Amino acid sequence: MTRRATSKLGAYAALSGFGLVAALVLGRPEIVALTAPFLLAVGVGLALAGSPRFTAEIEAGERAVEGDEFDVRITLAASTPVDRLDVFIRLPPGLELVAGKRARSLRLGRGEQRELELTVRAERWGAHRLGPVYLRTRDPFGLRVAEGMLARMPEVRVYPREDTLRRILQPRETQVFSGSEVARRKGEGIEFADMRPWAPGDPLKRVNWRATARRGDVWVNESHPERNTDVILFVDSFAEARGQVASTLDLAVRATAALADAYVGRRDRVGLISFGGILRWLEPGMGTVQLYRIVDALLDTQIILSYYWTGIDVIPQRTLPPNALVIALSPLLDGRSVDALLDLRARGHDLCVVDVSPVPFTQRPASGIDSVAYDIWILRRDALRHRLQRSGVAVAEWHEGAPLQAAIEEVRAFRRHARVARA
Amino acid sequence: MAGVTAYAFSGGDTVASAGGALAGVGALVLAAGLLLRFQLAVPWAVLLAGAGYVVARAHHSVVDGWAAVVGSALLLTAELAAWSIASDRRIQEERAVVLRQSLTVTALVVAAGLVSFVLVGAAAVSATAGLLLTGIGVAAAVGAVAVVLRLVR
Repeated sequence: MTRRATSKLGAYAALSGFGLVAALVLGRPEIVALTAPFLLAVGVGLALAGSPRFTAEIEAGERAVEGDEFDVRITLAASTPVDRLDVFIRLPPGLELVAGKRARSLRLGRGEQRELELTVRAERWGAHRLGPVYLRTRDPFGLRVAEGMLARMPEVRVYPREDTLRRILQPRETQVFSGSEVARRKGEGIEFADMRPWAPGDPLKRVNWRATARRGDVWVNESHPERNTDVILFVDSFAEARGQVASTLDLAVRATAALADAYVGRRDRVGLISFGGILRWLEPGMGTVQLYRIVDALLDTQIILSYYWTGIDVIPQRTLPPNALVIALSPLLDGRSVDALLDLRARGHDLCVVDVSPVPFTQRPASGIDSVAYDIWILRRDALRHRLQRSGVAVAEWHEGAPLQAAIEEVRAFRRHARVARA
Repeated sequence: MAGVTAYAFSGGDTVASAGGALAGVGALVLAAGLLLRFQLAVPWAVLLAGAGYVVARAHHSVVDGWAAVVGSALLLTAELAAWSIASDRRIQEERAVVLRQSLTVTALVVAAGLVSFVLVGAAAVSATAGLLLTGIGVAAAVGAVAVVLRLVR
C-alpha cells in the first residue's frame, strides 16, 4: 500500500498557517478564532491517522462455460480498525457483473472479517484474469489515504458453448487403430464388405454357408474393419470480423470445440492448428484429456496483428499426418491463410473449409463508391470459394445464427458429389 | 457559507457590504467547485468567506463573540463540501461508513466551536497584548488534545 497525504491536509494546513500569520499581522483575534477549527482538524486528524493493517483475498471458480454465472468472493480481514475501506474490482471484457456492487465502501473493526460476494456471468470464452482489485483506506478525517491493489488475481477459464452435431465429416482414409469409422479396406470387422473363395488360413467362422451351398465351393465373407481417423482442426486466427457481441473468431472457436468433442467421442485422434500471428499446434491425440487440451489451447487463441508471412512448412510433420482430414475454419479474410489452405490441398491433404462468413458483421454502405466496393468484395469472396472448390476443397459458408450442422451437411454433400464425379 | 455571507452583510455600512460581497464570491467559488467536483475550490472559497468576514469586522474594535460560530461554520462547510466532492454515486457506501463520518464531522465541528469560543473569550479579556500568547495557547491545546486522542487510540 502506498500512503500519501490528501489535498485536504495541505489545504487545512495552509489555511491554518495563513490565518495565524494574518491574525498576528492585522492584530485581529477573530482570525485566530476562524483558523482554530482547521488547526484542530489537522492536529486531531493526524493524531488519529494510524496505519491500518488488513489482508484481502479474492476467490473465484476456475472454470465456467459461456453463459454460466459464478461467484467471486473478496475476503477482507483487519487486525486494526479501518475507518473507511474502498474496494473496487475491474472485470475484464467477457465477464459481466450480474449481482453485487463493483465498488464498495465499508468499515472494518479490529479483528473483523468480511466477505464481499459478486455474481459474474461469463459472456465470452477465453482465459480471463479477474481484477485488478483496487483498495484504498482513509483515516477518519480524510487527511491521509493508502492505496494499493491485490497482487494475485485468479484466472477463470471460460469454455465455449458447443453445438451438438448429429453427423460429422468422414475422412477419405482411416488409420490403423480401432475406432468408429468403417474403413474402405477389408479386414477384421463387423461391416460386411464382400465374398471370396475360401483360402487356406481363413477361419471357419467366416464361411458363408448359404453361398457355399449354392455354389458348390467354400466361400467366405469379407468385412470392413472399424478404424479411427486423424482429424486436424485448422483455426485461422490471422484476421476476424467483429460485431457488437460476437466475431468470426468466436464462431470458429465454438465450432472447433464442437467438432473436437464429436470426433474425440468417436475415438478419433484430433489435433489442432491455430494458424495466425502466433502459430500454435497440438499433435493429434485421443480421449477426454486431448479434448481438454484442445479446448484449453483454443482459449488462448486470439487475433494478433502480424505482417509475418507464415507458411505451412513451419508446422511439424507429426502435427499434420498424411491421410488426416483437415477441417479449416476461416473467414477467408487474410491471403496468408488462403494460400496455406491451397498449399495443404496441393500437398494432397483431405481438406474441407467452413467459411465463417464475415458478411453478417458488416453493413453495406447505402450508396456511392463504398457500396460498389462492398459488392466487389462480396463477389471476390464468391470467386475465392469457387477457386477453392475447383482445387477439390469442399467449402461451405457458415453465417452467424445458422446451425453448424447445416454447414457440415453442405460440406458432406460436396464431398459426396466430388467422389461421384471423380469415379 | 450563505450564513457567513449574510452575517458579513449585516453590518449595514459600506465596509460590511464589501466584506459581504467578498464572502459572496467565496460562496460562488464553492458552488462552482461543487458543480465541477473541483476539490481545490474549497479552501479558496473558505479563504474568501473568511476574508469577507474579517473585512466586514475591520472597523470594529470589540472582539466579535460570533467569530467562534463563523469559524465552525466555515469548517462545517469545508468538510461537507469535501465529502460531497469525494463521494461517488457508483461506490456503494455502507450505512456504518456514512454514520461514522457524520458523527466524526459533527464531533469535530462541536469541538472546534468550543475551542474557538474559549479562544474568543480569552482574546476578549486582553485583546491586543495576549494575541500571540493566545495563538500559542490554542496550538498547545490542540496539541494536547491530539496527544490524548493518539494515546486513547
